[in-house]
Amino acid sequence: MKIICLVKYVPNVEDIKYDYEENVLIRDNVKLILNPDDAAAVAFALKLKDSRPDLELEVLTMGPKSVRPFVEDLLRRDVDQATIISDTAFAGSDTYATAKILAAYLKDKEYDCILTGSKSLDGDTSHIPAQVGEILNLNQMSNLMSIEQDSFTKDRAVFEVESGDKRLKYEILFPAVLSLRKESGYELPYIKYENMSLDVSDKLDIISNKELGLAEDSIGLKGSLTRVANTYNKNFKEKDKTVVKNDDQGIDFVYSFLERKGFV
Amino acid sequence: MSVVQKEQEVVESLVDLLSEEQVNTNDEDLYEASVDRYKKYAFARNVLDVPQPVAIVYPDSSEEVSSLLQFCNENEINVIPRSGDTSTEGGLENWKDLTVIIDAENLNKIVDIDTYNMQATVQAGVPLEELEDELREKGFTTGHSPQSKPVAKMGGLVATRSIGQLSTLYGGIEDMVIGLECVFPDGHVSKIKNVPRRAGGPDIRHIAIGNEGTLCYITEVTVKIFKHYPENNKFYGYLTEDIETGIKVLREVMVNGYRPSVARAYSEEDAKQHFYHFSKDKCVLILMAEGPKNIVEATGEAVEEAVEKFDEGIIEEVDSELIEDWFNNLNWSQQDIEDEYEGMIENDSHAGFTTEISADWGTIPVIYNNVMERVKEEFPRAHELTLLGGHSSHSYINGTNLYFVYNYEINCAPEDELRVYHHPIHKIIVEETLKHGGSMCHHHGIGKYRSEWTKEEHGSAYYMLEKLKEVFDPKGIMNYGSIFPKEDGIKKYINKEE
Repeated sequence: MKIICLVKYVPNVEDIKYDYEENVLIRDNVKLILNPDDAAAVAFALKLKDSRPDLELEVLTMGPKSVRPFVEDLLRRDVDQATIISDTAFAGSDTYATAKILAAYLKDKEYDCILTGSKSLDGDTSHIPAQVGEILNLNQMSNLMSIEQDSFTKDRAVFEVESGDKRLKYEILFPAVLSLRKESGYELPYIKYENMSLDVSDKLDIISNKELGLAEDSIGLKGSLTRVANTYNKNFKEKDKTVVKNDDQGIDFVYSFLERKGFV
Repeated sequence: MSVVQKEQEVVESLVDLLSEEQVNTNDEDLYEASVDRYKKYAFARNVLDVPQPVAIVYPDSSEEVSSLLQFCNENEINVIPRSGDTSTEGGLENWKDLTVIIDAENLNKIVDIDTYNMQATVQAGVPLEELEDELREKGFTTGHSPQSKPVAKMGGLVATRSIGQLSTLYGGIEDMVIGLECVFPDGHVSKIKNVPRRAGGPDIRHIAIGNEGTLCYITEVTVKIFKHYPENNKFYGYLTEDIETGIKVLREVMVNGYRPSVARAYSEEDAKQHFYHFSKDKCVLILMAEGPKNIVEATGEAVEEAVEKFDEGIIEEVDSELIEDWFNNLNWSQQDIEDEYEGMIENDSHAGFTTEISADWGTIPVIYNNVMERVKEEFPRAHELTLLGGHSSHSYINGTNLYFVYNYEINCAPEDELRVYHHPIHKIIVEETLKHGGSMCHHHGIGKYRSEWTKEEHGSAYYMLEKLKEVFDPKGIMNYGSIFPKEDGIKKYINKEE
């Protein structure tokens, strides 16, 4: 059985600052993190691999080459193979063009299931899993909250999906694209001490459009069906700052503020 | 005799020497007593790899300490002296199967506060804050204010050469101790008398001060006290372009002969975690003048002159009320420690680590820049660092200290965290410091986790240190592995070699 996990490294939104004078986002020194929903997908696959020695697991990501140390850490966690698709020609790709690029890599690969996250912290469109499924003609389901490990076979999987305030149970036939939510609670295992500095370069491929051979007008800005008409930052107004002391008066002030806002 | 029988026999003997109430064999307490804050994360996750002590004992007097040490010496039982439990470098960590913790909890009397002769005598287990509160009521202060003030106790502070946040004015604990009483492994009790100064041979106070429980057990200390003038305090804060500007201002103030009580320069990364509400991602410089009014005025003027001299690197002045507010809330309490432990149980992270070093003014920026560069280039987990920076917080006429601070995402098992993340960074800092002639341990002591570099730290003078150990603790029962390097312990507990 083979699973391919699609993952994305995203800026940690907590690091992004806002310049109130210029009304711009400050992205300097923002660290990359593995998109939490995608991490849940890899975590489930690794958990499954623990009990299925024959399971082959590959991770696929598209992004800058700087994600390499993070991808290497996934390989050190027992992922068998990883591929980074990186090319300046892909810059500006919308979700449709991105899905085409990912699908171009996946179309000749053998796999039983593609696991990924439902949405990403930065874009939040949730397009990619469905678009990849569409291009590759695969069944697709998003918002998975749990997958029955014992029922996960080469042919099918049984899982629960969150839908409004309900949880619905589905069975899906493979090959398929399944997208998890971080709320599923699947967590990446620790890297074993002896593997912390393991050389995993033989398991990592970095490919560009040279290997994928996509026409220039089908990728990047040219290949994108959607256009960004305008970008603007939501103009936040700097709030009046009140500095209180750590004394009874200060505590009362904070408490009444929280009470007023309905937090307590 | 089996290990269990031997342990049982030791406990029985301890009860005979003291009383049942003074011998603690509670499993939870012993687990807690097997480490200090160095292994805080492994402790919180319940994955400690060191042996538990056999018992914690609470002597009521110097005589009882003497009997205990004699007993342990005769039976070659490792002893870890403890008073306060805020150690951060493994000084209180246990590396021996048969170990007794001698805790100063019952040595808790303030013996005398003598405001005419400006000195206070206390037993080792008196909390610093208790003494400070008593003094404040009378209009005096110890002048000693480490971040651990609400938890630290006097014996531990002296035994580890502690320093406080007001050290630039009042000095480190070594400048405050007038006299002390200590007990050696053979049971001998030495009392060093309290005089303003003497030329009576080498200053033997320094055999006990900073011995980290490896030579003797400190039972009582007499410290200087100072008049307290909180109403005169003046606070100064500035945002600076770089940490070098901050350090230049600190140097200028110091070499011109002024002694602010607080004198700190932060890198932008470190400033962000302490002063997020005003640092604007810039470096921060903080000074505080205290003492008699005219001295405060003169010190304040000197600060302003120094800032003006380096105004090219000064971005703006910070509202002094913000600095005052920070100053009034910077100590961590027992509740803060417990909250951090709770957080570590829940999350794969903690509040980070520090390594503090010192060097002369000319060398400090070189060490800082080299460390930053090496960590980013050589540390294999650099991509997981969430904070790397530092600050200078204790200045002297000839130099200053640097407090490197670092935090990271933890992606290994809790028991591997120190050797994967902390120790490699710590090693780079120590190596760079020693290479440039600085000291690898400004105020946290050597403990066990810097003992592999003790010989390099002292160079040819290590001879003197080694001889002290041979003479005062010939059987090596005092705090095995602390200060004096022990190859087997380093292999087993630091490098984790099988």
